[in-house]
Formats: sequence, structure tokens, C-alpha cells
Amino acid sequence: MTYDFLIIGSGISGALIARELSKYDVKTILLEKENDAANHATSANSAIIHSGYDPDPGSLKAKLNVEGNKLYDQLEKELDIPLFKNGAFMVAHDKDEEGLLERYLERAKTNGVPGVALLDQAEAKKLEPNLADSVTKVLNLPTTKVTYPWEVAIASIENAVDNGVLFEKNQTVEKIDKQDEYYVIKTAEGTTYQSRYVINAAGAYAEQIAKMVEKNVQYHITPRKGEYIVLDRRVQGFIKRTLYPTPDEKGKGVLMVPQFHGNILIGPNSELQSSLDDASTSKGGINVVKEGANRLAKNIPFHQTIRTFSGVRASSTHHDFYIKPSLEQPGFIHVAGIDSPGLTAAPAIAKYVVETLIIPQETLPINKHFNPRRQAIKLYDDMSLSERQEAFKADQRYGNLVCKCERITEGDIVRHIHRAVKGDSVKAIKKRARAGAGICQGGYCEHQIIKILAKELGKTPLEINYFAKGSNILKRETKVKS
Amino acid sequence: MKPYDIVIIGGGAAGLAALKGAYDKSLNICLIERDKTLGGILKQCIHNGFGLHHYNEELTGPEYAERGIEEVLGLNVDIFTDTTVVDVVKENGTFELMLMNTKKGEHRIKAISTIISSGCYERTRGAIQLPGDRPAGIMPAGSAQRHLNIDGYMVGKKVFILGSGDIGLIMARRMTLEGAEVLGVAELMPHSNGLTRNIVQCLHDFDIPLYLSHTISDIKGKSVLESITISEVDENFDYIEGTEKTFEVDTLLLSVGLIPDINMFDSLKFEVSKKTGGAIVDQTYQTSVEGLFACGNALHVHDLVDFVTEESTKAGQQAKAYILNNKKRSKNTLYVTPSSNISYILPQTLDMDDDFNEVVLSLRTTTNALTGKFHVYQGETLLFSEKAKFVVPAEMEKIKIKKEHLKHSGPISILFEVVSQ
Amino acid sequence: MKKEMICIVCPVGCHVSIDTKTHEVQNNKCKRGERYAKKELLNPTRMLTTTVNIDSIHQRRLPVKTTDAIPKEKLFDLMDLLESVEIKIPVNLGDVILSNVFDTGVDVVATMSLKD
Repeated sequence: MTYDFLIIGSGISGALIARELSKYDVKTILLEKENDAANHATSANSAIIHSGYDPDPGSLKAKLNVEGNKLYDQLEKELDIPLFKNGAFMVAHDKDEEGLLERYLERAKTNGVPGVALLDQAEAKKLEPNLADSVTKVLNLPTTKVTYPWEVAIASIENAVDNGVLFEKNQTVEKIDKQDEYYVIKTAEGTTYQSRYVINAAGAYAEQIAKMVEKNVQYHITPRKGEYIVLDRRVQGFIKRTLYPTPDEKGKGVLMVPQFHGNILIGPNSELQSSLDDASTSKGGINVVKEGANRLAKNIPFHQTIRTFSGVRASSTHHDFYIKPSLEQPGFIHVAGIDSPGLTAAPAIAKYVVETLIIPQETLPINKHFNPRRQAIKLYDDMSLSERQEAFKADQRYGNLVCKCERITEGDIVRHIHRAVKGDSVKAIKKRARAGAGICQGGYCEHQIIKILAKELGKTPLEINYFAKGSNILKRETKVKS
Repeated sequence: MKPYDIVIIGGGAAGLAALKGAYDKSLNICLIERDKTLGGILKQCIHNGFGLHHYNEELTGPEYAERGIEEVLGLNVDIFTDTTVVDVVKENGTFELMLMNTKKGEHRIKAISTIISSGCYERTRGAIQLPGDRPAGIMPAGSAQRHLNIDGYMVGKKVFILGSGDIGLIMARRMTLEGAEVLGVAELMPHSNGLTRNIVQCLHDFDIPLYLSHTISDIKGKSVLESITISEVDENFDYIEGTEKTFEVDTLLLSVGLIPDINMFDSLKFEVSKKTGGAIVDQTYQTSVEGLFACGNALHVHDLVDFVTEESTKAGQQAKAYILNNKKRSKNTLYVTPSSNISYILPQTLDMDDDFNEVVLSLRTTTNALTGKFHVYQGETLLFSEKAKFVVPAEMEKIKIKKEHLKHSGPISILFEVVSQ
Repeated sequence: MKKEMICIVCPVGCHVSIDTKTHEVQNNKCKRGERYAKKELLNPTRMLTTTVNIDSIHQRRLPVKTTDAIPKEKLFDLMDLLESVEIKIPVNLGDVILSNVFDTGVDVVATMSLKD
């Protein structure tokens, strides 16, 4: 098959670029090496839509951060994504840190961040009673928001697919050749694609992809790992706002982030590592996270911890985002070094790639049938009484409560299996429908979810994967004479 | 619709016994079970060792369950299986339960009194913050037990087990018999949490090593589990460097504790013990919400199902008495608090206006002892001391207190003195 | 040669040892420990609990047990024997699944009733 645009990587950047391109009458394909979209940095980060107080004024990060933050309000309407407008406090503990707050206040103003102001201890405590007693002053950042990043990516892909983009998972790009005006892209799985443009949004793997095309790649990916703790959603209300420390040379520091569904996310630490895919956690790392959090709030209910995880951020030696056409090969575009505030900037990154880098080179005909809207599948627990009654009347599987921790029904699971981007593994269902995301982490419902997946996908329970191909949970049947 | 006098939530060992205890011809009683059949987790515990106290014979889990089911089968009560409790609230003195099933969808029933007998769930990898990668192949031992004994699926070929609780030990034997290779069991504590019989018959019989004072220090595997590493721990549970042992396994089973499964009752906002994870109750098994009772593993995790039956029968009887005698909660509360070497005592409070001669306190120690003494105080006054033998944290101890002893002021407290170890 | 074992007759859990030739038992605190050690050395027996195939709608396996302990070395042989057993509903608790296994006089019986 021949395409106009081939995007490598279905993280938040690739997903939103795919959607942006679907506004035009061009043939676009989005490739993902994993068994589901947006599985790495996009599903393992702080989930914050930053206000833009942090990036160096004049940088691409600063520009795209502030633009991106605004674009989320539009995405919320168009893609029906969760957006939790809870604001944030950056906290100071002493005169030095208070000085930093003043500096960030100025920088925020320069970057065009609305509503920022300093609050003293008493004012701050009135708004956040569980703030650590050692906090002396806070910078109020009211436009900071929280989203569900993975859902944003998948919503964008679903909308892009609705508008004509092709999405293929389990395709690991292995080789890229240039033949005349086409790139020939070969995957480890044995598929060959041809495309006029290649957009490299491969996250931590961007440099490896770039090396398939360029002799001198202009950046190195220097992966940084961040570990996190997740508290059960029963802690909802412990803090309302996202809490930040003052940033240091390693980044924004350990944050406490109330999540859309009520959980509180705590982290990350920030460690440089050589591996591109080592997303392990460590006792030491988790301890750093806990210590960091204790400087933000007091009496944190750590006993409500339901899981720990880590994410690898694709930082680069370029420091700023590296979003540029190849200096060597026309038609190859780098979207690399997308670390914080990459999630926030992503909608602006997508626009920048298409409107600033592509359109001046190439006339893109408008897709007259473009529909910007995508409807989220509402979970039973989020429905109104009449919606719930309606749902049950249409499908009695809405009466079978499968995941009691998060109150997810069989009806919810079935609908999320058959989404435009299919949920065909246990983890894909956990991400889409939250089944298994609660305190028992699937201990009670996993066997039911396996059965539902098998039935809906026409497979045996033995064939159902935890996530990746070959990660089946049930290994063999007993009492079968071999 | 007329409210039920008593609604029992959960049809496992606890719910069945509570129903038997609560039953009275004049009462309108209902039991709700989320599974298609009664019996609860006993149905997947196909090994034997149940019933020695209650039935004076050794039964398997399913046999124990079936006896309990037979005892309530002829009773004139409503039993709703395949039905889940989603939420419970209390308004104007009446409990309102939101239920769900595939026949009626979401619907509500009312009750004057409610008994929580919803069992427990298994502590997860996340809760104990095991380090390393997060591949497929790591699961609670009880989940693997369900896959194996009810559905007939093995979850792995080469297995390591963290935690020496009985479920872990039983699964070590069970998976071995079904053809898996179990490479070892690691236990964080310097002593096993399981019964000696299980150490012998589940581990020694199959030459499975038990690593005491060890825990998992690393997990490797991108999409599927490839290996785990254990390390010895010091007295602060920190890894001791140089003691690492790595095992190539495809499965890690966790037997690291059970927690009362009561989050569907969050709206009732009853007081919960941080130690047991279950409700704080008085000697009638009544929680801080009037008319709400709790028993079985939903109250605190028991080592023997026989004790679940005994306790839940009493809870059922107390709920019946509460309805029949139209009892009101008194304000005359005496607190029972654990002191040195005791992790928890149940009940946590005594209703002193209640008509009782003596009360049996269930308690767990934090330490092992060959011989020791329990000292029972009220305020500063030593009421009595009692000798004990072969005390281990995994096994519940019982102490009786007579009401006539409780003439002093201040709360009851119990401490455990280790005489020999 | 000495064989080490833990006596499980009572909660004391003596770590006893037995001489594999002379059958002399050491470190036992009581007579029962001696009997236990000899039995474990000369004729160790165990109950077996496992499952067999069944066509029930509720569960895909039926739990079963031996009616008495069988020689320990026969455990895996009995597991093999039970692999090809297929039971049809209805089945009652106590129904014999296999009788007199390995001529031991011990039966394998269902430990659950399944009607549908």
C-alpha cells in the first residue's frame, strides 16, 4: 500500500498528528509496535496539563505548552475526553524557594499563563488543609489541569480512524529505504509500506528510527525514568489541586496529582538510564517518591497504595522539543525529545507539524467529510439513572457487575472490547473500561474478564493475553491427556 | 415494599452460618450471593483440613461448604444468587441496598438490620510495592487457585511463591501435582505463616525450599515474567547485599495477606480498624452503625473456617436478638485495646448494658512463643493472667472475661509476655 | 544415614531424626513422635485432593479426594490415572469416581454435588 503520510508511534504525539492529518484529504497510516496504542510514556506520566510556568521563554516548549493547554479545552468538547480543571500549587518551604516562586510567577506571566498569583501559608491551607506544615508560601496556578492521557491518545486515534486514517498495531519498524520520492518501510512482522512522508514520533526509540534514514542524527535520546505510586480512589478529596515542589535541575520534582477518577498519583523521581524500555520500579526509587511527597502534604494515606509503576521519558540532548524536518532527507520529519510538557503540548505539536512544517511544502486538500467529534463510551457507573435503565434494557449484561472495586459491568467491558481501536487484552480492558484498576487489581474479576474477552473475540481463554502477543495468562488446560 | 428484618451479604462460610444463627420463623430474612451458587471461596479450596473443630471430622473445602448449604436449604428465607451489592446506605433507620443482577438490573431492597459477611480479597503486588518490571505472570495465589480448581487452567510451568501463608503452601503442592515445577517459597518473616503440617506436606514432600527472612528484590521480564530475584532481609526488612538468588520462572504467586472486602459498604461510614481492615465491633458483632453487624473474614481474617462458622453463627444470633428484642444501642461502651506483643483484639468495644455473663476475646500476638502469659488489665488494675503454649501470630488465641470482673474504671487492655521462645 | 523431619502430630513440631537403618528416632519429646517418624520412613501415606473433568455449567472441574491416605509414591500415578476421567452431571458428594485404586482399598470420591 502507498500512503502520503506514515506516522511511527501511536503515543500522544503520533495520535494527535494522525488526527490533525485526518482533517485533510490524504492517505495516512499510523504504526505501533506494541499490542495497543499509547503504551509507553503516554500511559506512564503525571497526567498533568501544565499551565506553562516552567519552559524557558522563547523555547518551542514554552510556545507549544501554552497553546496546547488552551487546545485541551477544545479537545474536551470535540473528543469527549476527561479534563479535570483542578488547578495547582507550587509550594515553597523557605526564603530560597519563595524566591523561586517569584521567578516562576514572572516567567509564567512572560509565557502568557493566566491567573497566576502568590498565596501565603494561611490562604493556601484554607484551600488545601492537608498541605505540609513546612510549606511557607505557594504559587497558585489555576489553569493547570489533569487528563487521562491514554484516553486522549486513543480518542484521537479513534477520531482519526473515523476520518479515514489507518491504524495498525504490532508493527515494529525495522528498516526504512528511500526509493525515488517514496520511503519504503519494512517491519519486523514482515509488512512493507510505502509513503511519501515519514513522521517519526517513536518516543524513546526516535533516535533508532532516525538512524534508519539519516547519517548524522542531530540529537541523542537520553531516557529518564520516573517512578510513581498510585493511591486508591477512596482517597478522593485528600487534596484537590496538583501539588508541585519548586523544580530542580532534574525536572519538576515529585508531584501529587489528583486523578480524574479519584485516585492520587504520586511521583516521579527522575533518573537517567541507558535502557530505552526499562520501566521497572525500585525500592529506592519509591522511597524517594514518598520522601518527596511528604514535603508536599501531611499524613498521606500511603496504606491506600494500590500499585507502583514507572515511565520512560524520551528526553534528548537537544533539551527543547526536536520537531524539525530532516536535514538530510526531505519528507522525513522528527517529532523527538518529547519530554515534559509533552502531554500538554501534544495538540499544539500536531498543529505545528502539519501547519508549519508540512503545509508550506505541500498543498493539502481539505477533507470535506472531516468530523471533529468522537463520542466517548460512557461507563455504567458514570451514567444517570435513566441512562442506566436504558442501557440495561438494551443489554442485560449491564446487570452483571464484573469489577466491583470500580463498579464495571460486563456491558461496559463488551462495549470497550469492540471500540474502534479494539480492546483485546486484559490490560487493554483495564485501560479502557477500568476493570481491574481498583484495590484488588483484578484479583477478583480477572478470570471473568478473560472469559468475556474469549467469548467476544471468538477465542479460547488460553489465547487471551495479559497484554503483549504471547503473554497469555492461562498456560494450559489440566486433565487433557497429552 | 416491606423491609427485610435481616439481610445477609455474602453466601460463603460466614453468610451461611450467620443465616443459620439469625433464622427465626417470625423473621423475614434475605441472603445475597454474587456467585451463581452458594459456598464462597471454600469451593475452590479443594484440599482437606477443614471442619475438625466444627464437625469433628476432616473435610475438604467444597464438602464443608455443602454441609453449610444443606443446613440452610430448607429454611423459609429469600436467597438471591448471581446478585451483587453495589451500595448500601442508611436512611431514617432503615438500610437501603442497591443490588444488581442480569435479571432485574439495578434494584433496591430495604432492611432493618444488615450482616456483612462478604469475605476478603488478596493483597496485591502493588499494595506491597514489589520492585522490578511488570510483566504478565504475577498474580495472587488465590486467583491461580481459582483458575486451576474451578476452571481447569494452569497459570504456569515454573513457579515461585512469595509468602508462606497457607494458600501459598497449598498452591505449591497443588501446582506440583499438576505438573508444574515450584522452585521455592520466600517468606519475609523469620518464621512461616503457615501451619507446620502444610510446611511438611506441601513443601518437604516435594523438596520445595522455604527461604525465611527473604523477599523479592527484583522482577525481570518485559512482556512475560522471565526471572525473579530474592534477597535475605535484615531486621528492618532491608535487603542484605550479596544474598541475591535468581530463579528463572514464568509465574510468581503472591500469598502475602488477605484484607476484609468491605468497600461496597463505604457509604455507611462505619468505623474501621486499621489493624484488621474490618469494622470495629462490640461483643454482639455490631459495628458503629446501629443494626449493622459484621462477621467472618469480612470482619477479620481467620486462620480456620471453623472459627468463621462459630463467630458468624453468633453474629447471626445477635442480629436476631437485635430485631426480636427491639434493642437500642447503649452509650455505655468499654474499649478493649491491644498492648505489648498483641496485634489486635476482637471485639474492640464492649456494650456494658448488654446482657452477658462473659465474653470471649479473640486476639493475635505479634510474636512466637513456646510458653507465655497473657495479662488482662482494666485501667491500671490487673484483672488476671493466663498461661499459653505454642503461641504463633498465625493462630488466633482466645481469652474469656467475666462481666463481674469489669468493676474498675478505664479500658480493658491485654499484653502478652513471652516466657520461652 | 539419618533422615530429618518435623513431627506434625501436635503443635510442638519436634525436629526429629531417624536412622534409616536402625530406625532409631532422636529428638522426639514423646512416643507419638517416634511412631510418626517410623511411619514417615517406612510407609508414608497421603490423602490426595485434586479435580477431574466434568460437563457442569458452573465449573469445568469437579473436586475429588481419596477416601483414605494412599502410599505417598502413588500420588503422581493417581494424578495420571485421573487425567482421562470425564464425569457427567448429575454428581453427588461422595459418589465414587474411581474405586479401589492400585488395589489399596481406597476410592476416589466427589467432594461436591453438581446437578447442572
